[in-house]
Amino acid sequence: MTDPTLIRNFSIIAHIDHGKSTLADRVLQLTHTVADRDMQEQMLDSMDIERERGITIKAQAVRVMYDANDGKTYQLNLIDTPGHVDFTYEVSRSLAACEGVILVVDAAQGVEAQTVANALMAMNAGLEIIPLINKIDLPAADPERVRHEIEEGLAIAADEAVLASGKTGEGVRDALEAVVRLVPHPVGDPHAPLKALIFDSYFDTYRGVVALIRVVDGSIAKGMKVRLMATSTVTDVEEVGVRRPANLPVESLGVGEVGYLITGLKDPALVKVGDTVTLARHGATEQLPGYREAKPMVFTGLFPIDGDQYPDLRDALERLQLNDPALLWEPESSHALGFGFRVGFLGLLHMEVVKERLEREFGLELLATAPSVEYHAFRTKGDMVVVHSPQDMPDPGHLDRTEEPYLKVTVLVPPDYVGAVMELSDQRRGTFKDMQYLSATTVELHYEMPLSELIMDFFDQLKSRTKGYASLDYEYIGYRESNLVKLDILLAGKAVDALSFVVHRDKAYARGKVLTEKLREIIPRQMFEVPIQAAIGAKIISRETVRAMRKDVIAKCYGGDISRKRKLLEKQKAGKKRMKSVGSVEIPQEAFMAILKVDE
Amino acid sequence: MSDPGATLPRHVYVHVPLCRSKCSYCDFFSLTPDRLPVTPEGLVDALVNQARAWAERGVAPAGIDTLYVGGGTPTMLGDGLATLVSALAIWAGAEPDAEITIEANPESVTPELLELLAMAGVTRVSLGVQSLDDAELAMLGRAHVASRAIAAATWVTEAGLDLSVDLMCGLPGQSAADWRRTLDRAVTTDADHMSVYPLSLEAGTPLAAVVAVGDAAEPDPDVVADMLLEAAAVLKTTGLLRYETANYARPGHESRHNTAYWTGAPYLGVGPGAHGMLSAATAREAGFIVADGIGRVRYAIACSAETGLGIMPEVTVELLDRGESAREDAMLGLRLTRGIDDGLATRAAVTGVLEGLAADGLVVHADGRWATTERGWLLGNEVFSRVWAGE
Repeated sequence: MTDPTLIRNFSIIAHIDHGKSTLADRVLQLTHTVADRDMQEQMLDSMDIERERGITIKAQAVRVMYDANDGKTYQLNLIDTPGHVDFTYEVSRSLAACEGVILVVDAAQGVEAQTVANALMAMNAGLEIIPLINKIDLPAADPERVRHEIEEGLAIAADEAVLASGKTGEGVRDALEAVVRLVPHPVGDPHAPLKALIFDSYFDTYRGVVALIRVVDGSIAKGMKVRLMATSTVTDVEEVGVRRPANLPVESLGVGEVGYLITGLKDPALVKVGDTVTLARHGATEQLPGYREAKPMVFTGLFPIDGDQYPDLRDALERLQLNDPALLWEPESSHALGFGFRVGFLGLLHMEVVKERLEREFGLELLATAPSVEYHAFRTKGDMVVVHSPQDMPDPGHLDRTEEPYLKVTVLVPPDYVGAVMELSDQRRGTFKDMQYLSATTVELHYEMPLSELIMDFFDQLKSRTKGYASLDYEYIGYRESNLVKLDILLAGKAVDALSFVVHRDKAYARGKVLTEKLREIIPRQMFEVPIQAAIGAKIISRETVRAMRKDVIAKCYGGDISRKRKLLEKQKAGKKRMKSVGSVEIPQEAFMAILKVDE
Repeated sequence: MSDPGATLPRHVYVHVPLCRSKCSYCDFFSLTPDRLPVTPEGLVDALVNQARAWAERGVAPAGIDTLYVGGGTPTMLGDGLATLVSALAIWAGAEPDAEITIEANPESVTPELLELLAMAGVTRVSLGVQSLDDAELAMLGRAHVASRAIAAATWVTEAGLDLSVDLMCGLPGQSAADWRRTLDRAVTTDADHMSVYPLSLEAGTPLAAVVAVGDAAEPDPDVVADMLLEAAAVLKTTGLLRYETANYARPGHESRHNTAYWTGAPYLGVGPGAHGMLSAATAREAGFIVADGIGRVRYAIACSAETGLGIMPEVTVELLDRGESAREDAMLGLRLTRGIDDGLATRAAVTGVLEGLAADGLVVHADGRWATTERGWLLGNEVFSRVWAGE
């Protein structure tokens, strides 16, 4: 166990792409934690998707030993946090394990929405914030302006901001010196009953669930019996250790130390992020503050294109869930798409990442229906139905009122684009709350907006209407009364359940019209005329028609053509197989996502 | 020597890979004379030698019913074409009533050449007219003009040869009226046989490239459908009846050679780029390695003057098992107006598929035969692909 005064626990936080992971790499190199020959980029991002997309999904903790200028050697625990708003809760737990943060701001991009969000989170957690202006080697770097933005926009003193370049390694030592000097050392009671915070977990095929923990009070050692308080699970400590970044077992972890805990538990649902580990007997009576259950915000139907892959999809979801307890799913069946799953995600990025991993790591071909949110529908008889899927929506005759989840949305944008943001937010049923100038070049706008509008391509639209300048952050603020209806799409007179969606009544007509037009373009001509209708209940609100295909024939077929034409027909047939046939209508996969591209 | 089960081919196709220039829509194998490593005379010898070599491999036709010399532009061989035809007819033992067809382009035939070919045994000329509109011909990269095509057609009939005229519709920029004009003029040739194809844009051809960048309009499939219907109607009034998806003839003048393709008869292919089809037993005789259960072997000779012209040319082989062979016959048979009989449908195990197609109005069942309907002609790919897939 290390003297707590020689421990510093800190995290690096940043807006996406501001260079957080590269900076972490430099820290590992400078402290000789990883030999140069073993170094690879984004060392702490272990998933391919994390490296490729330059994002961090899972938190990581690494212990480095740093020889400071004062002649002492410090134990620094660097806790790498997920870098996306979908994982806000996970970030807050990681921050709860720290006493300070390095706030990384890109020297060219300046303060962006997630810079603000992350800084606020760190402030609320009472952490010491060390501003670091990164990428000063870039030609477009303007550290003075950025220093000003940090002071004006975030009210953080930045006169001593560290100037650094993750790329060249410049300033990295200054950053670690600042950590040693400014970040308070952990304080805890070594004689009190054990209290340790679980800030993330992952699944190891051989060892079971591995929890990342921060000891607050007491100590934890191999052989102890411990209790996980939120789930009331009693288990043995099989192993504790530290990550350097490979697992290194140690005898025990004491006050302020960060490491991992292996209990032999195989069920990730028992080891929850935010839970407290204490002694099984005579343990702490109160949990560490801040625990809550992960709650999915965005839902989508995932269906295997080849129905035979259903068991494989189930298996893959189970395996992903081991490392991602926030992933929730239940079987769902659709007339149009067959058997699949309704899957809940923390947000859109989470959804994309999971879908990509299912396809890439498990070789599945999937069809995703348009994402939706969890609506509340109150029936005339007084009860409430939780609507995860448009199919859950009660008939209009039985529907009394509806509610939908709202967000507080923060947009940071240069003043020239305020009009564009206002226009977009209006279209998306946003309510303007306030606006303030962070600096001469950055305006912060606040809106309240339904989550369902945000998941409809809002971020892409925001980016394109502001030439890429706008940055976005949001937080959940609860349910609000709304006037929602279920819109059905009928093809050749038959409702296709997988194309239904829930929409605000005021927008139903416009969206139904645009969607039927869009589907007319997407659905290829078939042997028969295909009417496309949008309907609310029994009322048709728009109609388009895909005309019947009249000619599709390879006319020339002589001796030399036979093999070739046969192959051409096979190819054509294979193309059709990739479509879903609903009744007699062949529907291309993109039709199921068309609703997302509807920009009225 | 030969296996009693072997059905020796009674049809021969010879590919003459020679063109004056490449047409803008064509993806068949051909070379201009300067790119050919042999003289036209040398080419004739090489083709005859390659044909003869088959005999040494055990697949000498015991008499042939049809011989078809295609290309390329066989008429570019000039008098050499007559030599080629007579040499092959003698080698193969052409029956007295054999159908011997040559493909010809209007610009490369003369009354004299046609006279000579008739004497060499040619009975039929398939004339690549394509269009009778000079602007369309220019766009297609054809070397002739409309008036020459009409003259060439006259020379063919004057030489006492059966005339077949090839036409194309659905050309970029072609209107319904343009097509009707070509049809009306084509009818004046009094041809006993006509082939009508919608233009198909083959990848890699100049015309496909021009359409891809938007400099020529891709024909509207609905307009093309009308053009095909118009062709069938106009030709019918002059006594030319559809007997295959794209072919029309006065009764008795149907192409026997092409009908062989559509009825699963084996045929020998000779020359670079030519294709052939042999029964499994014949293919074994010829030295192909053919497993049990295989019904037929298709082969394609290399599209190269270097490797496709020798006596043992490089070939690509495709083996079809008995089920596939039967399904292929069913698929090809449904190209014919007369369709296929119940026996073939059963052998190919496609009766259920045909019933499904009948429900969609694409085929009809009568008197023990399945035949394609008017609607089925236009949506042929649906018929062919479902029958071939067997589902």
